[in-house]
Amino acid sequence: MSEPGQARFRGFGWRPLGRREPVVADLDLTIEAGQRVLLAGPSGAGKSTLLLALVGALGHTVAGDVSGSAEADGRVGLLLQNPGDALVAERIGREIAFGPENLGLSRDEIARRVDAARAAVALPYPVDHPVAALSGGEQQRLALAGTLAMQPGLLLLDEPTAMLDAEHAAHVRESVVDVVDRTGATLVVVEHHLEPWLAHVDRVVVLGADGTVVADTTPAAFVEHHRDALGAQGVWMPGLAAPVPQRPASDLVLPDVMSEPLVTEHLGVTLVRRGLRGSTTTVALHDVDARFDPGDVTLVTGPSGAGKSTLVAALGGLQAPTEGVVHGWGGPPHRLKSPALAARLGWVPQNPEHGLLARTVAEEVVLTAAALDRPVDVEAVLAHLGLEHLASAHPFRLSGGEQRRLALAAALAHRPGVVLLDEPTVGQDRLTWAAIVGWMRAAADAGAVVVASSHDAVLADAADVRVSLAAGART
Amino acid sequence: MRQAVVHANPLALCVVGIAAVPGSLAVRDLDTGLIALGAYLVAVLLLTPSVRYALICLALAGFAGLTVAWSTWRLGGHDEALAATAALRIVVLAWPGAVVAGYIDPTRLGDHLGQNLRLPARPVVATTASMQQLGALLGDWQQIDRSRRARGVGRHGGPLARARVAGSMVFALLVTALRAGTGRAVAMDARGFDEAGRRSWAEPAPWSRLDVAAAVIGLLLAAVPLALHLLR
Repeated sequence: MSEPGQARFRGFGWRPLGRREPVVADLDLTIEAGQRVLLAGPSGAGKSTLLLALVGALGHTVAGDVSGSAEADGRVGLLLQNPGDALVAERIGREIAFGPENLGLSRDEIARRVDAARAAVALPYPVDHPVAALSGGEQQRLALAGTLAMQPGLLLLDEPTAMLDAEHAAHVRESVVDVVDRTGATLVVVEHHLEPWLAHVDRVVVLGADGTVVADTTPAAFVEHHRDALGAQGVWMPGLAAPVPQRPASDLVLPDVMSEPLVTEHLGVTLVRRGLRGSTTTVALHDVDARFDPGDVTLVTGPSGAGKSTLVAALGGLQAPTEGVVHGWGGPPHRLKSPALAARLGWVPQNPEHGLLARTVAEEVVLTAAALDRPVDVEAVLAHLGLEHLASAHPFRLSGGEQRRLALAAALAHRPGVVLLDEPTVGQDRLTWAAIVGWMRAAADAGAVVVASSHDAVLADAADVRVSLAAGART
Repeated sequence: MRQAVVHANPLALCVVGIAAVPGSLAVRDLDTGLIALGAYLVAVLLLTPSVRYALICLALAGFAGLTVAWSTWRLGGHDEALAATAALRIVVLAWPGAVVAGYIDPTRLGDHLGQNLRLPARPVVATTASMQQLGALLGDWQQIDRSRRARGVGRHGGPLARARVAGSMVFALLVTALRAGTGRAVAMDARGFDEAGRRSWAEPAPWSRLDVAAAVIGLLLAAVPLALHLLR
């Protein structure tokens, strides 16, 4: 086991390649060994930057200018925001073993740690299960297991539960707290939903939008003094009411072609990952009967790996069913040609970067509408989403929250009658959340079929209908 | 028996692929080339599970062979037999390696390179981790495809339009891969990779009888053209 580590920032600053303004400037901060710190602040405040700085990635692996110093003692374990990026092995056992292997541990010790870490994050699969067959939430738990297996003295977690449903999130939190209790490791957590962590930390550091330390305080004082100010900046502060959805003007969402209700009958999807060295078969959906009406916001809920994304994709003809049918398109939707499908469908992917195709933000918004010969009020769309000052920027230069809003505009600006969204609110602050949910609400009220897959409890409260899945079947 | 290539260890498979290179140099006439190719074909049918995959590799190797045949024919005095021999030599050189490469498990390859060949651990692991990334690209490709399809700019229309869309999808995939590569490098270093002086291996890298047999078969196959050449 490694000694608890201290982390120090002295006059630290960071300006990524291609940006004029630094994300973080002249920051002084010391995190003592054994402390448990929650790092809070609005999106774009540089929270992830600080974690990356402590593993020495900035300026080397990630291009840009570093000023001052960021140092950490002892063994550092970092869990990154996007778990898919972190995976290095083909099977989950070797994935978890990667860190212990780097530490030069014995084979017996590695096996023990792999088993312990797998149990800590409740991954129910054998060690030879392929990593590629895991869902997004399962990959996040796997990545955490890989970090815990190193038994770091300084544990840095960047949104460790963002992609998890409430039950798994609670389990992961308990595992982290348990590991920290046993090892006395220093803990720094960045998370959007702060409340569940407050009971487990002894210090809260709040970063401002300009990357400076705005407050450095105890959890109780943090909630008391900063609730309203930070809430207004978009931070999910405990005790605040759900954000009010920001609805766009109805002419921005009024469907060009109204949709029939979408109805699934005995819908089943079996995903087969074929490889030369063997294939993995996953039953993603089984015998799902469900109805999605125009005018309703329907939420597809369930734990990670339940088949939520697959159901949404099958509804929109983006995933061919292996059994059963999807009614409402006048034929099997997966056989529609791309422009015919796009004329009626808008689909917001889970990873916003996958949906971005153009060179500027404004081109991105008109792309689909132009292909369909439909007019779009680009300025009004961008203004509603707070992106008007970025109209000529490259989509990949945007921050995470901005990109998510742009992906929404790109997918929905052509006013489709069927609006499908895959985990639209993951990792979003209150402001982006209100923009996304407002768009969903307004589209439904204008007569669109709106369906989102999500484990977001706040979004569930805002939905009209909930379709709950477990292990690919309705519950 | 047709699962043999799946279970054989990656070093044994490398022996099969690499041995074919000196073997192919002995292909000096049409008969030798045809017999050597026939021997590999029998091995593929008996020892590998996917004939389809092997045929795809054969087509690719065949294309490479054809380009060589063409230039040999043009430059070598329009001699058809000479050109065909040159083509066969390339196919015998490339095809076995291409087939076995598809069956190599990156992680096991890393285990063997590090533990049996004692190659330095860090470059070995960096290589196997990037080979693993190739698998992840498949998922990204599917997402990009879905997204384009839903936005009315998916693959449809004539072959030219499809090719253009596929081209920009490949570009999008490259961008995604580059960005993911940075993330992976950070993640690997965050798990102690940058400081891994004496790295250990979670699993052993054994040689079974099957592995020895696979390597011997690979050597024998490569010896076929050599033997024919010497006998003449």
